[in-house]
Amino acid sequence: MVIESAHEFETQDLLLNVGPQHPSTHGVFRMVMQVDGEVVRDIIPYIGYLHRGAEKLCETMDYRQGIGFMDRTEYLAAMNAELSYVMAVEALAELEVPDRAQWIRMILVELNRLSSHLMFMGAFGIDVGVFGTPFIYAWREREAIIDLFEEISGDRMMYAYLRPGGLAWDVPTNFVARCRETLTAVRQGIADFDGLLTKNEIFVARTQGIGFISAADAIDFGMSGPSIRASGVPLDVRREEPYLKYNDVKWDVITHTDGDVYARYLCRLGEMRESVKIVEQCLDRLEPGAIMPEKMPRMLRTPPGEVYIRTEAPRGEFGVYLVSKGGNRPYRLKVRSACLSNLQALKHMSVGQYVADAIIVLGSIDIVLSEVDR
Amino acid sequence: MTSEETTESTEAAAPTATLDGTIWAEVDRALSGITASAERGVLDVIVHVPPAEIVRALKALKADATLKFDYLRSLTAVDNEADGIDVVYHLYSTTARHNLTVKATLPPTNLFIDTATSIWRAADWLERETAEMFGVRFNGHPDPRTLLMPEDMDDTFPLRKDHPLAEIEILQGEGMGYSEEDQ
Repeated sequence: MVIESAHEFETQDLLLNVGPQHPSTHGVFRMVMQVDGEVVRDIIPYIGYLHRGAEKLCETMDYRQGIGFMDRTEYLAAMNAELSYVMAVEALAELEVPDRAQWIRMILVELNRLSSHLMFMGAFGIDVGVFGTPFIYAWREREAIIDLFEEISGDRMMYAYLRPGGLAWDVPTNFVARCRETLTAVRQGIADFDGLLTKNEIFVARTQGIGFISAADAIDFGMSGPSIRASGVPLDVRREEPYLKYNDVKWDVITHTDGDVYARYLCRLGEMRESVKIVEQCLDRLEPGAIMPEKMPRMLRTPPGEVYIRTEAPRGEFGVYLVSKGGNRPYRLKVRSACLSNLQALKHMSVGQYVADAIIVLGSIDIVLSEVDR
Repeated sequence: MTSEETTESTEAAAPTATLDGTIWAEVDRALSGITASAERGVLDVIVHVPPAEIVRALKALKADATLKFDYLRSLTAVDNEADGIDVVYHLYSTTARHNLTVKATLPPTNLFIDTATSIWRAADWLERETAEMFGVRFNGHPDPRTLLMPEDMDDTFPLRKDHPLAEIEILQGEGMGYSEEDQ
C-alpha cells in the first residue's frame, strides 16, 4: 500500500558558520551559509580579519618604505604587487626605467605568477579531494622558484627588490642559467599537473559545471584575472594596456567559455604555459646595462598629481591609486584588490549549489585574504 | 604632513587645449545637461561631476553607445580636509578599451552621495569600504554594514586625515581591559 503525503516534505533552513579558522577558507575568511539540507540558499561573507591599515600606514612612510607593505599585502605574488606600486611612483615622478630593469622585472613577475598558480594547483587539489600528490608536486616546483628569488633578493617571500626607477641591485651573474634550470623544472611540473588533474575522474566530476558565472555578470561584479577569462572575457591588462615589454614578446591570452570551476582551473594551467613562454623570450633578450636611471635623487619626491596604475597579477588586476600633493610620501594610496572584487561574486556563483561545491567555488577564486583586507 | 608645497589646483591652465585627442569630447557629449569639467591626468582623463548628479552621469557613461563604461575598476575616496572628500570612480570599457576617472567632491558638511550599486554590482563592497573608512554615506545602498572594520566601529573613520595613527589600545581606551596599574 502506498501512502501519499498530503503535503510536501518541508525542511527548515540551517545557518552554518564556516571559518574564520578553517582550512577550506584559505585564510581568515568567514562565511555564514544558509543551507537547506545540502543546498546553499544564501551566503553572507565576512572579511576584514586581516585588515592592518596598509593604506594608512603608507601615507606615513616615504615611497621606498611603502614597498614593504606591498609585499605583505599580496604575499603570494609580492613581485606583482611591488610592480604596480613602483610603476605608480614612477608615473608621478616621471622616472624612465632602463631596458634591462624592465626585462628583469618581467621575468620576475612572470615567475611569481608561476609560483602563485602552482600554489593554487596544490591547494585546489586538496579542496576538490585529490589529496597528496598534486600538493607535494606543487610545493616542489614552487620551492625552485622561491629559491631563485631568494638568491636574487635575499628573501623567500617579502622580496622588496623592485625600486621606483628600477631594481634594488643587479641580479647574480648566473641568473639566466638558474632561470633556465628553474623553467625546466616548472615545465615538467605543469606537464605533471596536466596528467594528474586535467583528466582526473574525481577532479573533473567535482569541478565541471560547478560555480558558473556568465561573462556579463563577471564584468558587472568587476571580476578580473583567470576568474573572468574563464567566462570568455579576454580581459588581461598585459594585452589591453601593455606595460613593461609585453608588446615585444609573443604570448596568448588564455580564455575559456564555460565559466565554471573547471574552466578557471584550465585558464590557470594555460596561463602557466604562457608565462614559461614569456620568461624564455625575456631571457633571450636580456642584455647587460643599467638597472637604475642615471640621475636618481637620494630622496624621491613627486610633484602633485594622481595616477591609477593597474597591472595583471596572478589573481587579476592589482591596481594602485596614488595621490600626491608633493613631498616624499603618498597623500593617499589605495590598493585595488583583485580578490575583493572576485570574492563579491562568490554568493552569485554558490547559491543553489551543494555545500561541498561552495567550498570548491571559493577555492577556484584563489583568494589571498591579506590582499582582500589590506 | 611635511610637504611645503601649497595644495594648489593641478588643473591645467587651458583644459580644452590639453584634452585634444582624448575621449573628453565623447564624454562631454554623453554628459549633456550635467555641468562636468575635465582635466588630463597622468594616464586617464579625470572628469569632475557634481555629487548630486553622480548616478545620472555614471548611468549615461555606461549606457552611451560609443563609451560603454561597463566595468568599475575601483571606487574609493580621498580626504582633502577642508576641501571636502573626493569620491573617485575608475571606469573601464571592456569592449571599447578605454579608461576614465570620475570624481565627485563632497563638502565636509554634507558627506552624502547616491549609491552606484544599481549600475555595477562591483560597487557594493567598494562603497561599504569607502563608507566605513571616510564616513561617506551612500544613499540607497542595499547593505550598509561595515566591511573590514568591526561592526561597532561606525563612528570613527580611519582613513580620514584627522584620524590619529595610534596604538589600538589608545583608540579603544578602556575597552581593551588594561588598567593603568597593569602596565
